[in-house]
Amino acid sequence: MDLITLAEVSGNLSTIGYGLAAIGPGIGIGIVFGKAIESTARQPELGGRIQTLMWLGFGLIEILALLGFIAFFIMK
Amino acid sequence: MIGVSGVGISLAAGSFQVPSVDEFMPPEILFQGTPFALNRIIIVRLIATVVLLLMLGITAARAKLIPGRWQGAIEWLIEFIRDNIVYQVMGELRGKQYVPMITTLFMTIFVFNLCGIIPGLNIAATATITMPLLFALWAFAQYWVAAVKGKGLGKFLKDELLPAGVPWPIYIILVPMQLLDIVLIRPFSLTIRLFANMISGHILVALCFAATQFFLIDAANKAFIGLGAVTFVAGFVMTLFEAFVAAIQAFIFATLSAVYINLSYPE
Amino acid sequence: MRTEAAGGIQLFLPETYDLVWSAIVLVIIAVFFYKFFLPKFQSVFDERAKKIEGGIANAEKTQKEADEAKRKYEEQLNTARVEASKIRDDARSEASHIIGDARTKAEGEAAQITANAQRSLQTQQQQAMVKLRGEVGTLATALAGKILGSKLADNSVQSTMLDQMIDDLSGDDR
Repeated sequence: MDLITLAEVSGNLSTIGYGLAAIGPGIGIGIVFGKAIESTARQPELGGRIQTLMWLGFGLIEILALLGFIAFFIMK
Repeated sequence: MIGVSGVGISLAAGSFQVPSVDEFMPPEILFQGTPFALNRIIIVRLIATVVLLLMLGITAARAKLIPGRWQGAIEWLIEFIRDNIVYQVMGELRGKQYVPMITTLFMTIFVFNLCGIIPGLNIAATATITMPLLFALWAFAQYWVAAVKGKGLGKFLKDELLPAGVPWPIYIILVPMQLLDIVLIRPFSLTIRLFANMISGHILVALCFAATQFFLIDAANKAFIGLGAVTFVAGFVMTLFEAFVAAIQAFIFATLSAVYINLSYPE
Repeated sequence: MRTEAAGGIQLFLPETYDLVWSAIVLVIIAVFFYKFFLPKFQSVFDERAKKIEGGIANAEKTQKEADEAKRKYEEQLNTARVEASKIRDDARSEASHIIGDARTKAEGEAAQITANAQRSLQTQQQQAMVKLRGEVGTLATALAGKILGSKLADNSVQSTMLDQMIDDLSGDDR
């Protein structure tokens, strides 16, 4: 360690990258579930259909977070 | 996992066994070097297959008109997959021929995922890329076959690549994107979703229990015992969460396969 | 993290033996589901549906039969009621007939008896009258002869007087 180095952070930038990549999907999943709850409250009789669509949307958004996750493994 | 290992090293130079991706590439145990080599995950997969076949086979062989509790549960699952996944997405007429496929996908993925939290197996049988990839390729093949049979290949490609009601300059961007979508993104998103979920779930659970062991037993500083309790509870919760994820992933995989196949048919 | 080099991209590259085993497993499970598991449960579902439908059909049949029986019973009851009332009416009319007959017969008989009695009474009366006339005549003649003696021996006077007397008598009688 040099004398000039005052603080050292060890680790991999991919970790931070994954953290950043998870922000968008996090917001997205929040919106998906929130909207699903809202629509179920408005139209309770469509609950089953809405739930299916909700999980579909969840799956599509989740893949974004998971891409960040695998990028973390690949890039390290 | 570097970040975590960094923390571990800073706490004590002891043996904090950080779970790593190496667990998903276990060494070959039997028949090394041949196409039939066995490693830990494949053995888990074989065990899961045998258990699945035995469990459902015995249930089916003993199936009675008046169902018992166990048979009732299995029947509920079958009807759930049929009615809530296949028929809801495709409609009864079209969905009929895909019921066995979707049921196979759902049940297999569900049981294989559950292996991840069963003590003794402790790793999901779907935790190598191959298994999800095969499932996805099956769905991929089915929706291309359905496209050729249902719409005809030309019509299918036209509908997918050149959706109506879009101004033509957009097509320059849209066509390659859509092509990429139907050829690559659909199967690979299916694969990656399942696979990455299993990896992350396993790592989370393993991390929690590894930390528990480190804090409670290995750590020199006994001040961390409280933290160990926290990580133990977290591991417990994560285990339950993994059971939930196992079911959800099976459901999403089955539903998305059904949706992709349905997209290949005319409305 | 010692074997970092082994990580990364390799995680996403399928191994040959992995592919082989996955395919074997998947094919076995798929065959199991396609050929055994789902057809078996489908047959169980079908059988159950058939049984339930059969039960419903049976119940419907029984219901229909019961309705039929009830209808028949009510019909029978109705006809019986009608018949009974008819019989009653018949009986009543017959009874009135019989009574009427009996009455007319009795009346006739009574009238006949009365007539007979009257007739016999009349004949007796006439007989008695004739006899009386004879006797009274003789008696009176004898009595008058005795009283008047031979004065009245004249026949013509005698018969005139007698007739006069009898006429008076019967006139009183009437």
